[in-house]
Amino acid sequence: MLKFESISPSWISFGMLLRREIARFMIINRQTIFPQIITTTLYILIFGFSLGSQIKKIQGFSYIEFILPGLVLMSVITSSYNNASTFLFSARYDYSIQDVLLTPLSYLQMVVAFTLGSMIRGLIVGVLVLSTGVLLLKLKIFSIGIILLFLFLTSQIFVSFGLLVGLWADQWDDLWTFISYIVTPLIFLGGTFYSIHMLPYPWKWVSLFNPIFYMVNGFRYGIIGFHEFPIGLSLLILLTLGSALFCFTIYLFKIGYKLKT
Amino acid sequence: MTPAIEILGLIKNFNKTPILKGIDLIIPQGTFFGLLGPNGAGKSTTIHIIAGLTLKSQGTVKVFGYDVDTDYKHTRPLIGLAQQEFNLDRYLTLFDLLVYQGGLFGLRFSESKKRVEELLVRFGLWEHRLKKHQRLSGGLKRRAMIVKALIHQPKILILDEPTAGVDVELRLALWEYLKTLNKEGKTIVLTTHYLEEAKALCNEIAILHEGKILIHDTKEKVLENSRGDLHNYFISTPEVEAHA
Repeated sequence: MLKFESISPSWISFGMLLRREIARFMIINRQTIFPQIITTTLYILIFGFSLGSQIKKIQGFSYIEFILPGLVLMSVITSSYNNASTFLFSARYDYSIQDVLLTPLSYLQMVVAFTLGSMIRGLIVGVLVLSTGVLLLKLKIFSIGIILLFLFLTSQIFVSFGLLVGLWADQWDDLWTFISYIVTPLIFLGGTFYSIHMLPYPWKWVSLFNPIFYMVNGFRYGIIGFHEFPIGLSLLILLTLGSALFCFTIYLFKIGYKLKT
Repeated sequence: MTPAIEILGLIKNFNKTPILKGIDLIIPQGTFFGLLGPNGAGKSTTIHIIAGLTLKSQGTVKVFGYDVDTDYKHTRPLIGLAQQEFNLDRYLTLFDLLVYQGGLFGLRFSESKKRVEELLVRFGLWEHRLKKHQRLSGGLKRRAMIVKALIHQPKILILDEPTAGVDVELRLALWEYLKTLNKEGKTIVLTTHYLEEAKALCNEIAILHEGKILIHDTKEKVLENSRGDLHNYFISTPEVEAHA
């Protein structure tokens, strides 16, 4: 059995950094956790019980059942990205990142702790929003394992994007530029609110270049058991993208990109 | 004895502009070392390179015989850096911030908490422990920065203008504390603009000017050899000088 006394100082440092990252967003949970739940509940009420009842079934599912996975992922994506990008940018801006750079933590440990810290926020929000949706719609979940797998991957990918943008950004506006001009269009064009089979010919194929399509596809399969693209291939694409972004983030930390002059 | 800090041929260029032009510096263990020079001389760049916050262009920097780039896991716990700019986390209270900082250097939570309590009392910050840094005055922030640097009991304490903007009373109290730390065996590297501070504290001084070391010797010899020239690099504060 692992004794607490046997944990090396390096792992204590890692654990403390992770604990600090979680404390940071939990202190302001009214701002970091609950707004997403309120927004998604409103979406469910309006699209599900008001507008949705006027829309015919998609692939045999009610409109709100079909779009719920996308709504949950939207909240996971924005929470994960916002946490990672704003934390890293503000830590660079007020130089508090130097408190971490001065420690004996390796760059791998730093990136893993920052990634896990932001992912935990994304996953808490995702689970709470999904639970709210499931309760409101009285849904029967198809596979919890698949749900968790795609939640985890989606969160990790957007945390890595957030860390990269947090490193690259020179001003606060740059953080919102990425979400407004890249993430939001990708969410809306990734099959969140429709089946890609409903799209005309070229757009159906264009959707396959959008990573959010694979996230929604896998997550939707986990919730209602319906998919438009093979799940194994979706998983492989997301794992490749997630690993590449993660490794690139470690590389930028290692060379001190915009962290060290 | 292995020097506390050993710098050989240190060059730093920033956007092709030379900041440090080949510095050689050996700081023995237990020294109270003053790194002096006018603004833009390269003092902060030098100490940031030692601490691992700035990348060097050329040369080697060793701390207790370990290279700061390749053996950073050994060198970083040996150094405590109190920077000139306040860089206290805006989300956490002073107490939490310091406990986490101890933890980042490998102190267990209980151990870090105990150390923080001890230092907060010693630096007169105990009653401010639950405040976030935005609510601390300049003097309190300055003290907090020094506590943050001392939390993991480093062998080398690097202080970048530690008494800038601090009132006379606190400055004198800090001096006394720093002298005690040095007597206990800690190597202290200090950058300052105050001549009386260097006179009162340091036993070895180097003057950095335009990226080069002009003089490096014992305090007495530097003061004797440079005669009146030293005043070109310092701000004089007569009210403190009277106490020095």
